[in-house]
Amino acid sequence: MSETVVQQPSFFQVKKGLFSWIFTLDHKRIGILYLYSIGFFFLVAAGLGILMRLELLNPGRDFIEAQTYNQVFTLHGVIMIFLFIIPSVPAVFGNFFLPIMLGTDDVAFPRLNLFSWWLYILGALFALSTLVFGDGPADTGWTFYAPYSVKTGTNVTTSVLAAFILGFSSILTGLNFIVTIHRLRTPGMGFNQMPLFAWALYATSWIQLLATPVIGITLLMIVAERVFGIGLFDPSIGGDPILYQHLFWIYSHPAVYIMALPAMGIVSEIIPTFAQRTIFGYKAIAYSSMAIAFVGYFVWGHHMFTSGMSGPAAIVFSIMTFFVAIPTAVKVFNWVATLYKGSIDIQVPLLFALAFIFNFLIGGLTGLVLGALAADVHVHDTYFVVGHFHYVMFGGAGFAFFGALHYWFPKMWGRMYNKKVANTAFALLFIGFNTTYFPMLILGLKGMPRRYYDYLPEFHDLNMLSTFGSWILVTGIIVMVINLFAGGIKGKKASANPWNGITLEWQTASPPPLHNFDKMPELPAGGPYNYPNAKNASH
Amino acid sequence: MNGKEKITENTSTHEHISSYAEHFGTWVALILLTLMTVFISTFGADLRTLTVATALLIATVKALAVALYFMHLKYDAKIYRAWMIIVMALFVFFLFMVTLDYITR
Repeated sequence: MSETVVQQPSFFQVKKGLFSWIFTLDHKRIGILYLYSIGFFFLVAAGLGILMRLELLNPGRDFIEAQTYNQVFTLHGVIMIFLFIIPSVPAVFGNFFLPIMLGTDDVAFPRLNLFSWWLYILGALFALSTLVFGDGPADTGWTFYAPYSVKTGTNVTTSVLAAFILGFSSILTGLNFIVTIHRLRTPGMGFNQMPLFAWALYATSWIQLLATPVIGITLLMIVAERVFGIGLFDPSIGGDPILYQHLFWIYSHPAVYIMALPAMGIVSEIIPTFAQRTIFGYKAIAYSSMAIAFVGYFVWGHHMFTSGMSGPAAIVFSIMTFFVAIPTAVKVFNWVATLYKGSIDIQVPLLFALAFIFNFLIGGLTGLVLGALAADVHVHDTYFVVGHFHYVMFGGAGFAFFGALHYWFPKMWGRMYNKKVANTAFALLFIGFNTTYFPMLILGLKGMPRRYYDYLPEFHDLNMLSTFGSWILVTGIIVMVINLFAGGIKGKKASANPWNGITLEWQTASPPPLHNFDKMPELPAGGPYNYPNAKNASH
Repeated sequence: MNGKEKITENTSTHEHISSYAEHFGTWVALILLTLMTVFISTFGADLRTLTVATALLIATVKALAVALYFMHLKYDAKIYRAWMIIVMALFVFFLFMVTLDYITR
């Protein structure tokens, strides 16, 4: 090609000033706005988690009252779920990279995209306002189970409205991504030439779009019940509390896949790049994302086996639950097969991806224990559930988020972090995470119930171990955050393609220009992960 | 632009522009169906146990009219129709499972 390409200024350089950020329509800036907002709330919620672990260091009251403890774990859950893990990967990396990976210049509806961020901020303000207004934060747990949530004097209405507003932010992001994927792929890029991260976002977006309205309506019903005493969920006035659990989990189980699927998409990007090998079973991984999203709609009842739900319904839900394991296992098999005989370059993003597989396997297999009717009756509402949940959410989605941050960091900021420090942070995170949460699985099997600020003396040792683990974990988080900030400010300049990747984001400058590409990107021949071809390609 | 032209995926930029007559006809149909719903529920059309089912049926027809004509589903790629059917099937499943639980409790 003989055309002369003029290097455009990066999207950071195009405009300056606060307003150029908070009213930006550029998907990359919106992605970074989300990163800072979500990162802030992650640190707040992690701080609350550390408080809980400190209280649980010894049996009995250490420094938090029972009621305060209930409010702390509720706020920890609400912030982590609705303000961190659900929006995390789609809102940050989806916003920043989806249009670039599709070879286009923005999402389909840039204004709607900015509106989503503002809704996120509004929802966050509602959630935080419960700290200072009314009778304190809700003490119901993040699940807001009726009839307690209808009767408690704490600030449930505001917390529920926060989740409602955040739900709309999520719906609009999903809608935007679906339209972008259908309409704005670069010419020549069919669905089966899309990167697997885009496939994962596509599956996630359908869940965001279809499941989130259910929780929106359900949460409004809680408000209506509290304000008008309608009798929807409170049995003393003719309501059905199990109906609440149905409606809540019709959304909240698929929501687990809003958290997990984009994480799986990240792993599917990182592994072929650092194995320098064509992904094994592209279509199997792509379609298994859709299968997980689809089957995930049919299994919500496994959260309700001990609720008083009928036997026949419980049996159907238990059987369905085991089906979800199949597409998940397909992915794990394909990732491992991709590594086999690859030219493996062990860099920090790959370490996070491998940690994801390790942690997610523990999370997934313990999930099967919970999905089995007879076993669930014994471990329901114990620390086994807390351990399982954190292995899936933090060990899975959280580690993938950190992996994505290290993988795409040079592309986003045009600089590289200190790799030795990043390795140290990873080691602290991995050891700290497993030391914190593995004891919870054992505690649960031994019968320690969740959501209490106190416990019996026989649970002391493992609780101490878990709290020590949380200190290692938080040290890892601090080291990682400082290293990334330092890298962004004064790290070595990164090239356009420091990892030798071949998806389209590696064809543009680091950081990318405002319209993403200085020239039309060239689709790699033979698909997005055809590495032998890529060795002759750009850079 | 040919009114029957289909909107396709990202490989084409063709648009479908509906005629005023089509929009107006859909609107009239929606008004008539609304009046029918009001009549059935208010003015004593004696359908007994079929009252709710009839109201739901009319609401479904109205939703389909909006989706097909106002939202251009009729002229769009088949995949969007497939998605709509999947969504409706999911909704039916939600109702089925919640009802199954309720009646077998």
